[in-house]
Parts: sequence; structure tokens; C-alpha cells
Amino acid sequence: MLKVAWSSIRTNKVRLLLTSFAIVIGVAFVAGSFVFTDTISARFDRLFEDIATGVDVVVVPDEPEFGNDFGEVAVSMPESVFDDVAAVDGVRVAAPSVGGIAQLIGSDGEAIGGFGPPTLGFSWTDESDLTPLTIAPENGRPPETADEIVLDVATAEAQGFAIGDSIGILTTGPVTEYELVGLANFGDEDNLAGATLAIFEFSEAQRIFDLEGQISEIAVGAEPGVTSEELADRIQKVVPEGVNSITSSQSTAEQTAEIKEGLGFLTTALLVFAMVAVFVGSFVIYNTFRIIVAQRTRELALLRAIGATGGQVTRMVVLEALIVAIISSAIGVIGGIVLAMLLSAAMSAAGFGLPEGPLTVLPRTVIVGMIVGIVVTVVASVFPAVRAARIPPVAAMRADLARTTRKSLTRRTIAGVVVTGIGALGIFIGLFTDTSEALSILGLGALLVFLGISTLAPIIASPVASFLGWPIKKAYRIAGDLAVQNTQRQPRRTASTASALMIGVALVVFVAVLASSLKGSINETVAESFPSDITASSSNFAIGVSPDFTEELRTEDAIGGVTTLNSGAVRVGENLDTASAIEPDTYEGVLNIPGADPDEIAALGATDGLLVFDDPDDENDGLPLGLEVTLEFPSGSTTTAEVVGTFEDDLAFGAFIMTRDRWFENVDPVADMLVMANAADGSSLDDAVAAAERAAEQFPNVDVQTQSDLIAEFESGINLLLGMFTVLLALAIIIAILGITNTLALSIIERTREIGLLRAVGMSRRQLRRMIRWESVIIAVFGAILGMGTGLVLGWAVVQALDEEGLSTFSVPVGQLVTLVILAALAGIVAAIYPAYEGSRLNILEAISYE
Amino acid sequence: MGTAISWRAPARVVRYLTGRMGMPAAVAVTDAKKIYGSGDAAVAALSGVSAEFEKGKFTAIMGPSGSGKSTLLHCLAGLDTLTSGDVRLGDVSLGSLSDKDLTIVRRQKIGFIFQAFNLIPTLDAHENIVLPLSIAGEKPDQEWYDTVVSTVGLSDRLTHRPSELSGGQQQRVAAARALVSRPEIVFADEPSGNLDSTSGAELLEFMRRAVDEFGQTIVMVTHDAFAASHADRVIFLDDGQIVAEIQNPTADSILDKMKQLGD
Ligand SMILES: Nc1ncnc2c1ncn2[C@@H]1O[C@H](COP(=O)(O)OP(=O)(O)OP(=O)(O)O)[C@@H](O)[C@H]1O
Ligand SMILES: [Mg+2]
Repeated sequence: MLKVAWSSIRTNKVRLLLTSFAIVIGVAFVAGSFVFTDTISARFDRLFEDIATGVDVVVVPDEPEFGNDFGEVAVSMPESVFDDVAAVDGVRVAAPSVGGIAQLIGSDGEAIGGFGPPTLGFSWTDESDLTPLTIAPENGRPPETADEIVLDVATAEAQGFAIGDSIGILTTGPVTEYELVGLANFGDEDNLAGATLAIFEFSEAQRIFDLEGQISEIAVGAEPGVTSEELADRIQKVVPEGVNSITSSQSTAEQTAEIKEGLGFLTTALLVFAMVAVFVGSFVIYNTFRIIVAQRTRELALLRAIGATGGQVTRMVVLEALIVAIISSAIGVIGGIVLAMLLSAAMSAAGFGLPEGPLTVLPRTVIVGMIVGIVVTVVASVFPAVRAARIPPVAAMRADLARTTRKSLTRRTIAGVVVTGIGALGIFIGLFTDTSEALSILGLGALLVFLGISTLAPIIASPVASFLGWPIKKAYRIAGDLAVQNTQRQPRRTASTASALMIGVALVVFVAVLASSLKGSINETVAESFPSDITASSSNFAIGVSPDFTEELRTEDAIGGVTTLNSGAVRVGENLDTASAIEPDTYEGVLNIPGADPDEIAALGATDGLLVFDDPDDENDGLPLGLEVTLEFPSGSTTTAEVVGTFEDDLAFGAFIMTRDRWFENVDPVADMLVMANAADGSSLDDAVAAAERAAEQFPNVDVQTQSDLIAEFESGINLLLGMFTVLLALAIIIAILGITNTLALSIIERTREIGLLRAVGMSRRQLRRMIRWESVIIAVFGAILGMGTGLVLGWAVVQALDEEGLSTFSVPVGQLVTLVILAALAGIVAAIYPAYEGSRLNILEAISYE
Repeated sequence: MGTAISWRAPARVVRYLTGRMGMPAAVAVTDAKKIYGSGDAAVAALSGVSAEFEKGKFTAIMGPSGSGKSTLLHCLAGLDTLTSGDVRLGDVSLGSLSDKDLTIVRRQKIGFIFQAFNLIPTLDAHENIVLPLSIAGEKPDQEWYDTVVSTVGLSDRLTHRPSELSGGQQQRVAAARALVSRPEIVFADEPSGNLDSTSGAELLEFMRRAVDEFGQTIVMVTHDAFAASHADRVIFLDDGQIVAEIQNPTADSILDKMKQLGD
């Protein structure tokens, strides 16, 4: 049997090649995700280990328990802790350090970075054992006075800075100028993962980071004979509450874990796409084996006739699948390694420099990749294999018996509807309930919906093909007519080929609908809540807009009303929420707070109270007026205020609105998130923008935007995401298109005699190619339409579900959908190139005498 | 279609002239050689065949298995090319035509009936019959179509798919298809080979009538003396050469000849 399986593989090389491509891509994605993540964590592990060499214990303050996803909140401890730590028995050497966010002003006068890799500032320490920073002799010297600075080698190189240059540094206040006196390496690297590093003299660092008398971290080296654990324990006893003494290996592990978590979304995304690719691939595999079995009916029947059992026939087909699976999974794993290399190259190109180092290929990667590839292929081949076993031996003699296994339509309908229904239920549960498994349930639901629809698809395949084929028939007569009929002769084959495409298209449509709805909602919110002409924000989320800028802005004649808005995470009891802060005196006309009466806002100002979100669609929520609410900020400080009113837009303002004064009693440093302004009466928007830009001149991190700029920025962010998703989903679509190619190529082999006959009675090669091409286009467009329908329904459901979260508009990107159908038709044409070529090349005589 | 016009005009003249001379040849083959493979493995399927197939005549080709019958037929029909020698259809030398022109010649001048698998399974009987015309983008001549269909006796089966027709009916559909575009010549390779004797006889009767009533030219390969007896002339092939010929054969005269050749 192995021999028969092997010889079948050899004779079906091309079709199996196409099949295996589907597996290769899926497995490559799985393996690639693992290799990429493993490599990154291994490299950072090493980097952090390098950094920590010589350090045995690290003393750090507690991280805030929430709201510090981007390190917005600088934590510190009193300087006196250092003296206590240094005095502990067993401490050989200890060094304090101060750190924060410091943005460099580039050679072009603009602030560098901000939304990309972090812009870090540190204090210099002379204890070379305890710092990862080294300055090579040819690269100058450490900062010795308050006006000297050292940068990392990579940033200086990128910006063209040389020793002796004057460098502008932006923290919360205005820009400060420093003299560049040295270039530092971070461990062995020129750079810390793409971050820019600015290194200051110790007390200057304390000053600019607003940490006078405070320190951020203490690095400790142990005396010989004292273990890190022991020393960490001893130090823990002398430090105040809220300060932690941990071993450096523990700290390294924590930081690596943090990096891993930060990259987690990328890994998840990659794995999701891997799953999509594998799923689509399984359709292609299923289809290929089904057709191969159909084509070999006579051969298989002959095997049965000469005594093979049904089980043997099944095993033979599965064995064939297994051989293909092993080979292509292995190629897939190798592909995954290449993919990971490309990914890290892409990340470096995008400015997120990864530390140097080899790729990490763990046994787990190979094992999981192989298992995924093999299991999917074998499972997908099982149905065709079982069907192969049902071929009666007489089929060897009578070809017409081969295709009589037509299951009843009713059974198919019921099965399809039930599976789709269960899938829809899964999606519903995933969307509307708060289980921890929500995402998995959602994914499983979507999977079932796809399966269900692909089960139902054969029922509508014929009518849809007639409908789509009508213009083709009109235009191309017999070739068109035959094309349409070819798609109808085996509706199941057409349907399952189209279903593979459906999945990719559905996901693209889904994402597009979501993006379009999100844009719609944002436009609505911006237009409603931020009616101001101009918005100023910081290009660095960790720095904010200096109040000096706001003052400056207020002095401009072309500027009318000016107000600020801040928002961030707060905690009420156990619940995390978002709170905002406004200026009740200046908000009017610049900021709009839907659902809040002017007197409520006046009360907010007068009593320094709190406005709470009151869902207009929900009678029973919202807190009663007069209630005292205690809010906790990420920094740990708490504030209690009385509810004096309500508002209705939680997308813009979160759950609470307080005064700016109260906000900055709890948030440090005083720098605003957004400053909004209107043009003065009689001033044009252009004048106002010019005025705002003038005011922003001394504040390089402040970006001035008009309302339409603001919307455009939101939209371009969404578009970028949409583009990324689409590119990744395009892979699934490519697999599906290969599936069409595969099905067509196989159908052509199956119809060799028919094609020979058509050629014999006078059909030209061109007509033949046309016939195959339109068959392909019909399948592709059918798949696209199925996908579009499914994607729209899914998108609609999710938008409904997210209504609560502020996704108020359901918007269908009609233009994109039309483009998608056209692209699908083009894809159909491309998919047909190879089969059409093969078909038209068939030798007539051989075709006629083909068995 | 430039080529089609360039050869069609002289062909008409030739047809006119040959008609005048009383010896119209639809297809003529001269010194046809067909060699498969090369070197030691070379097989000569045809080793120098010359023959003319007259217009309005029914010719049968007989001979033992492997004697080159199918090869000859394929070469005559422009489905295959000769190693050397020439096939002329009317005034056109098939050897000089490109694949595209050959396709057009087949579409317009030649009809086929194969031993089996003559029909496109997705098309019904009517669509199969008019297939060559559909491919050419032409409309069938309704009167001629009705004549052909009623002659083959398929009037009530026209909407059926091939799978719903018996083997004999399928072959008759194929015969109707071969005739409907009024080809210059119809080639048939063992058309009754798969049929029982009654169905086979019906088909052969129909082919005979096509020759007698419509002046159709037919060349048919067969193993069967009874089938060959419907022809006006029988050509015997052996080892790629014509070894004998009988005019106005009967089943008995054919069997005698075969015996004689076998000795
Ligand atoms: N494609 C080919 N390649 C090699 N040899 C071939 C090929 N086709 C035919 N032959 C050889 O040419 C010779 C003539 O074959 P042909 O098919 O014309 O015989 P035939 O008279 O039609 O036989 P049958 O009565 O069995 O159909 C045979 O020896 C055959 O083996
Ligand atoms: Mg033959």
C-alpha cells in the first residue's frame, strides 16, 4: 500500500505541490511566530543579563498597580534609602540612579521619536561595575557638570551629532541645551532596542526629571561570599514600605517578561493569522484529496475488486496525505525561520532595533509546527479517504457509478444551518458575555460559521453560478456557457473551492467594516465633543503639553477660547475606569460635553465635584447625585469628590469628569494631554493656526492640528492597522487562490477527454482558455460574495456588540467592497492562468485516447 | 480568418474542376509515413500510404490491430501530423497549416465520430449536436438540422443529457453532430465498436443514408466485416501499408478477402 501511495504522489506531483503550498504557509506562520518570539526573548534575556553583570541586587520602588502601560508614571523613592542600603552588611558597592523620559531635539529642530521606541534619560554613575553604560576611550567622557550630556552611539550616529555639539533636550518644561561630551554603548549594543538614551550628571538628572531628593533605582554589588538572595533579603529589611529589593536575575526575568508581554499582541496576531492560513489551507487540502480520490475511482475500485478492503483503501489515501504532510510541514518550519528573520529585519527597519544575536529555534517550535501541519492535513484528508473506501468494486467496470454518492439536500441544509447556528451562538457568547475565554469562543464560533456556510454553499452554488454566468454566456456564447456549466456540474467542488476564498474575504470585509465604523464613530465623537478649531497635543505621550504653552496661546490675538483636557486611568474600588479633567471656566464653545447641562458644569467648577457618565440607553446605571466617590490614581494618590451631575459621552470622556485642579493634585507633572482652542471672532482659521504654531515654537514636542488634521490622524492610524490586517489576510486569500488553481488543474485532468473532444470538433485554444478562465472567475466571485455576506454580518454583529463601548455607527465601506469583488474576479483570472495553459496545451490525440 | 479565405477560394475552383472530371476526391493522401519514436525504438505506424477518398463515397478501412488504421484516420483528419508525405483536403495541404488554421479546418470541414466518449456530459443532446456551430459562433441551418435530427431518430431526446441516453443513442447524437455543420468529410473510428448489433446496425444504416441521400463523404475504420459491408469501398491495411481494396463489398467478400490476407 505504501508503494501505491508513493507512486500516486509521484504521478500527482503538481497537484500535491499546490496542496503542500497551503500547508507550508500555514506551518511557516505557526513556526515563524514561535521563532520570532523566542528569538526576541532570548536576545533580550542576554541583553539584560549583560546589563546586569556585576549587579547582584536591585532596589526599586513598587510599580503602580494600574494605568502604567506606557510607563507614564515615574516611580521613585527618597534618596535616604540609598544610605540605608549602602550600610547593609554584605554590600560591596551600591549606586543610585535617576531615570525618566527625555526627548531629544533632532538636527531639524523637531523632537525625535515619541510614539515609537521610548526616549529615555538616565543619570550617570561612576561605579562601572553597576552600569550597563560604557564609554569607549575614543568616544569622549561621562557628563561631569549640569550642562553636559552623553548620548547612545546609535542615536548620535543617526542624527549626525558629534562631540562638542549643543543638544536640546525636552522634558516637561522648555527645552534645555546641553553640550555633548561622550557617546555611550549599552552593554555590547550601540543602542537599547531602538530607544534613544540621554545620560546626565546625577543631580541634573534629578532636576530635570523633577525628582529632587528622590532616586529611581539602586544597583548593588555583593561582597564575595554573600549570595544575591541573602543580600536581597537583608536589604529588604532596611528599606521602607513600597520599595523592593530583588536579585538582579529576578529583575532580568521581570523585564524580559515585560518585553514578551509587550510583544504578546504581535505573537497573538501572528498565531491568529497562522490559524486562518491553516484553516484555509485545510479546505484546499480537503478539496485536493477529494478530487484525487474521485479521479482515481477506477483505480481504487480495481484495488477493491482484486481484494483490498475498504480500510486498506482509506489507509492508503491517508498515508498519501501523511507523506505530503511530513514533507511540507518540514518545509514550513524552515519557512517559519525565514519568516522570523524577515520580521526582525522589518522591525529593525521600522526603528525597533532588536539586540543582535542568533535566531532561537526551540524543539517546541519544530514539534508544534510539524504537528499542526500533519494533523491538519491528515484530518482534512480523512473524509475523502473514507469516501474512497465506499467506492464499490464494480465501479472499476462502470465509470458512471463513480459519482452517484449524492447526499440528500435536506440533510445538508439541516447540518449547515445547525453548524452555522452553533457558530453564531459562539460569536454571540464571545461578544456579549464576560468570560475569560471570550476570544477563543468567538474564534471558535467564527470557525463554525465558516464551516456551516461552506456546508450550505453547494446548495446555492448552481443558481449563483447561473446568475454570475449570465453576462459571460451573453458575451462568450459557447465558451461562457461551458464555463458556467462546468462550475455547476459539481456544486460541492465549486462550493468548497469558493469557501476557501470566502474565509479570507470575510475576514477582510469584517476588518474593513469595523475600521469604517470606527472611523464613523470617531468622526462623530470628534465633531460632537471636540468642536474646537485647533487642538494641540504632545508628540510624546509621556511628556504632555507644558502649561506655559497654554499661557502663551492665550496671549495670541487670533486665538479665542482656550481650554485643556486630560484623561487617564483611575480605579474606583476594584474597577478600572477612565476619568477626564476639564476647565469649567474656559470649556465653553471649545469643548462640548454631551448630556451635561451648563449649570451642572458650573456646579462642577463651583464645588470641585464630579460628573459621572450616565448611559442614555440604560435607565438603571449612573451614580446618584450627592454620592461621594473615591478615585485612585496610578501614582497611588486618592481623591474623593461629590457627584454633582452627569454626562453621556463615554468614548470621549470615560466614566468621570473632574476639574483640572483636582486632576493635577493627583497627577505629576503638571502637563496637559490636549489643549483646545478656537479662532478668535473675526480671525480666520489660518490665522489661528499660524498663531498657535507661533506659540508652539519654543515647545518642540507640541503638535498643532486643526479638527480635520485630528480626524485625519485618527483615520490614518486606523488605516495603518487595516492595511496591516489586510496584508496578513492577503496570505489567506493567496492560499485560497492557489486552491482555485488546484481545483481547476485537477478538473482539467479529469476532463481531459472532454477537452480533447472540444478541440477535435474545432474549439480553438483561445476559446478553451477562455472557458477555463471564466470558470475560475465564477468560482472566485462566488467565494468573494459568500465572504462579503459573512463578513458584513460578522461586522454588523461586532459593531452592535461594541455599541456599549462607543462604536455608535455601523458603516459599510461600499467602495472597498466593490474593489474586493473586482479583485476577486482578477484573482480568478490569475488563478486560471496555469490550468488554462495546461488545458490548451493538451495534445488532442492523447486527450481523446486518455483513460 | 485571413487564411481561411485564402484557401477557400482555390478550393472551390478545384472542387468545380474535379466535379467536372467526374472523379471528385474529398481527401487525398500521398506516400504517408508516420514513425513513432526514434532510433532502435522507432515504430513505423504508416510506411507509405497513398489513397484518395472520393466525394460522396463511404469508405471503410480495415486491418489487423496495430496495422495503422487509427493513425491514418487521425492524420487524414488533421488531428495528427505525418512524418512525411502529404494530406490534401480539397486543395489544402494540411501539413502546411498552423494549429489555429487546423482548428478552423476541423471546425468547418470535418466531422468526427469516435468509438466512445463523443459527447460533452454537461450539454444536452441538442447542444451537443450544434456544438461545432456554437464554437464557430454560427447558427444551425434549421431545415438541415431538422432533417439530420429526424434521420437519426432523436427528435424526442433532444433535451436529454448524455448520461440519460443509451450508448446507441449517444453514438447517433455524435453522428448527427458530425453531419450538422455539413462537413466536407466525416471520419469515424470504430463508431459501432461499443454497440450491440441492433444499435450498431441502426447507426450504420444512418451513415449509409447520409451518403446516399445527402452526398456525405465518410471514412470509417472498423474491425467488423458486417460494418464494413455498408461502405462503397473497403481498404485493407497491414503493417502501415495498403495491401488490398474491394469495391462494393458484401460481408462475405470482405471475409474472404480477410482470410486470403491472413494466409
Ligand atoms: N503514440 C504512439 N506512440 C508510439 N507508437 C504508437 C503510437 N500510436 C500508435 N503507435 C503504434 O503505431 C502502430 C499503429 O497504431 P494504430 O493505433 O494506428 O493501430 P490500429 O490499426 O488503429 O489498431 P487497433 O485496431 O488496435 O486500433 C501500432 O504499432 C502502435 O503501437
Ligand atoms: Mg485503432
